[in-house]
This record gives sequence, C-alpha cells and structure tokens, in this order.
Amino acid sequence: MTYTVLARCPKTGQVGIGIATYSICVGLYCNGLQANVGAAMTQAFVNQGNNTLALGLLAKGFSPTRVLDELKANDADAEYRQIAVIDRDGEAVGYSGPKTRGWSGHVVGDGYVSMGNVLAGRHVVDAMAKAYEAASSESFERRLLRAIEAGRDAGGQVGNEGHLTERSAAVRVYGAHDHAELDLRVDLHDKAVDELRRAFEEYELYRGYYRDRGKDPRNAISQAEFVARLAERKAAQ
Amino acid sequence: MTYSIIGRCARTGRIGLGITTFSLAVGGRCEGVAANVGICKTQAFPNRTNDPLGIRLLAEGYLPERVMAMFAANDREHEYRQVAIMDREGRIAAHTGSGTRGWSGHKIGADCVAFGNGLVGAQVLDGLIAGFTAKADDVLEFRLMRALESGRDAGGQGDAQSHRPERSAAIKVVDRLDYPDIDVRVDVHPTAVEELRRVLEEFKLYEEFYRERGRHPGRAIPQDVFVARLQAKRATLSSRA
Repeated sequence: MTYTVLARCPKTGQVGIGIATYSICVGLYCNGLQANVGAAMTQAFVNQGNNTLALGLLAKGFSPTRVLDELKANDADAEYRQIAVIDRDGEAVGYSGPKTRGWSGHVVGDGYVSMGNVLAGRHVVDAMAKAYEAASSESFERRLLRAIEAGRDAGGQVGNEGHLTERSAAVRVYGAHDHAELDLRVDLHDKAVDELRRAFEEYELYRGYYRDRGKDPRNAISQAEFVARLAERKAAQ
Repeated sequence: MTYSIIGRCARTGRIGLGITTFSLAVGGRCEGVAANVGICKTQAFPNRTNDPLGIRLLAEGYLPERVMAMFAANDREHEYRQVAIMDREGRIAAHTGSGTRGWSGHKIGADCVAFGNGLVGAQVLDGLIAGFTAKADDVLEFRLMRALESGRDAGGQGDAQSHRPERSAAIKVVDRLDYPDIDVRVDVHPTAVEELRRVLEEFKLYEEFYRERGRHPGRAIPQDVFVARLQAKRATLSSRA
C-alpha cells in the first residue's frame, strides 16, 4: 500500500523520489538516492538492506538490470518486494514481486519508474506517469509532487475495507552534492499528500534563504527579519 | 536559532541526534548520522559540506577533535558555524563560532553534547542534558525526545523580548545497520516538539511490525488488520482508564 515515482531529471541530472503511503514515517525508507550514482527504492515488504546495496552496485558500474538481478538473487523473499532502480543516465528498471499484495505493478518510462501496491488499479500508476511527463516544464521536485498528487486523485490505495488514506509522504531530491537538495516529509497525518504540498510551498519560500545564509553568513539577514519581509510581501499581494 | 543534542547509549552503542528549530524542515539537513561511524552536525549558519566531510574523516579513523581542526582549516566562515561531533565510541568535539547569533553555546554531559544558538540562555543546554540523563536506562530515542522537551521547557529559542516557536524537529538514531533505526520528522508545524512526541510514540507502536514484515513477509498480517488490532487495544485501554 504505497505509490511512488522514482526518477532522474533529464535536464538537471538530479535524482529524486515522490512517495505516499498508508504506512507512517515512510521517508525513513527512502535512503536510495545518491548524487552522480543513481536511485533505488524497495517497497511493499521492504528489505531495508536493498537500497544501500543497490547504490553500491550502481557506483561500481553495474547496469540497473544487473543490479535488480543481484537484489533478487540476494534475497530469499524477493517475491515480496517491489523495486525500482535508475542509473545516472536515466536507464530505469522496475519489478513488482508476485507476492506483493493487492493490485501491484509498475510503469517504466524514460528516466522514471511509477510503481505501487495495494492500489485502486493500474490507472493509479498510469496517472502518476502521465502527470510526471505532462509537468516537464516544471521543476523536478514539482514534477514528483504532481505525480503523487495524480496518484492520489486516481484513487490511490485500496485495502480490504476500501480506500486507505495517505498517512505519510515524502519528496527527496539529490543533485550534485552529498546532501539532499530537497528532503521534505510528512510522517503522520490523515491527508499526507495534501500536507506535503502545503509544506513544500511553505518551504519553497525559505529555500534560497536557507541555502545562502550558510554560504555567506556575514551578509545574512536574521530569520526573524526574513519572516517579517515574507509577511510584508504576502500582505502586499 | 536551534537547539540540538547528540547522544550515545552506553549500553547498546546506539548513537543519535535530536534537533529542533524555528527553521522549516531541519530534519532534511541532517546528513551527518552514520551507523558505526558517528554523528556530525553543523548548525547556526551551516555549510552543507561539513557534515558529509566529517563523517568521511571519522570513518578514516580521525578523532572528533582532529576533524574539528580540519573544519577550521577548510572553511573561511568557521566562526559562523556551530558544530558538534561524536564518534561511535562517544568521544566529542564541539565548536560555537563567535559569529553565531543570539545566546549561543555548547555543553558536554554524560554520553551527550548539547548545543544551540539564538537561545534564551545557558539554561536551555542544561535542560537538554537534564532531559537526556533523567532516565539513563531508557531507549535512546526517548532520551533524545525528553532532552528536546526539557530544552523547550527551559525556554528554548528567543530572547528577553520574545520566544520563537519550534517549527520543525527531528530525531535520528542509528544502530549497527547502514540504514536508520529511528528517523522521525516534523517539518512544518507551530509546535514541532509536541508533534514530534506524537509521531515518535505512534511510530514505536509500528516499529516492530514494519521491521518484521520486511524480514518475514510470508508471516506478515496486512497493515489494515494490524491497525484494527491496535485500535481495539487502545479502546480496551481507554475503557479501563
């Protein structure tokens, strides 16, 4: 019961993930992104060793297809996993193990994988893929957000008792650095995708300020001053 | 304006970071937490390159004190940074640059280091340490949580004129494996420390279920069944209370 888009931005080379699920604190499991290496995600029944292993194999030079084969060969319960792997060139592979539950599947596109399990149906992953592609003029992080919003709007997750709400969500993007360029999470909420959008739009206002004050502390205004200016700008609009 | 604590559980060797601040999404800027290596956290006016560099140097075998000396040599604006480093054996180095703003400082306690800036005063660091050491036998994530709460209750961020709310908070704990053991976040919230307590308490109820279903998927019950059982258990508890 999760839906995800894992992608590499063809314009910037950034790698990122957008994810939403009924489980709480899902951002904890999204540790498969590395600058100049690629992206990997395992979900459904998670093997928490997979993402670091996959990044290590990609860094050594293995192709995504070969990395996926290795993850399967290394795991007695591989049939319970749902996996996506993308390398730094955007070559992408996906796998939805036959023992993952509910409607489970993936779409592999140019530089991205849209995947999910315990979903309302195939149209959820299709909607995510379509939204990700349609938003190609927007920033990479906004494309990831659009994708999971489209997954939500297409019906999202459906369990035995009907629709399951998104209780956690995350969007993470890595660029040229060892640290994330964007790492936003909603860990426990009754509408986590909506809340992630709210958090993102709020954070966007601060992002440049947070980046620059560390680079040029001498000329940085205080955050109190920054917040006051934001409020003025909002009032003026 | 941030207050943080890095702590180590002497019993298990687990290490972790607790942090809260007025800034949004602070947990997304805490890369320096590495299993079997240590923790490095730069704040105040942070340069994002310090923490990954610090982790690499610790992994090479350098002591925290030596890593800090290299930070000073590598960074023209070191005096604007506040940095704390703890290695996996619990050795600590800390630095509060003269250019950090407001009341700013660090303090080393038993198995921990508290550090903060833009605070109401030294009592916040004392609060962090008192909260961390209050129940030394408790699991590390709850000790870190108690530290943040106690830092908040000691006045947290601000000055004589005004208090600054905690708008984001995070706790990260690593054990021996190369993925986080505990990683809970509150990114945009008016009372982030309270909300982090809520998230942590809830996550602890699911922690074992999540871990075991990944390790033994063939025996795992569906999550909606798990949640229904949890709700039944809660209903029983509240009817007793």
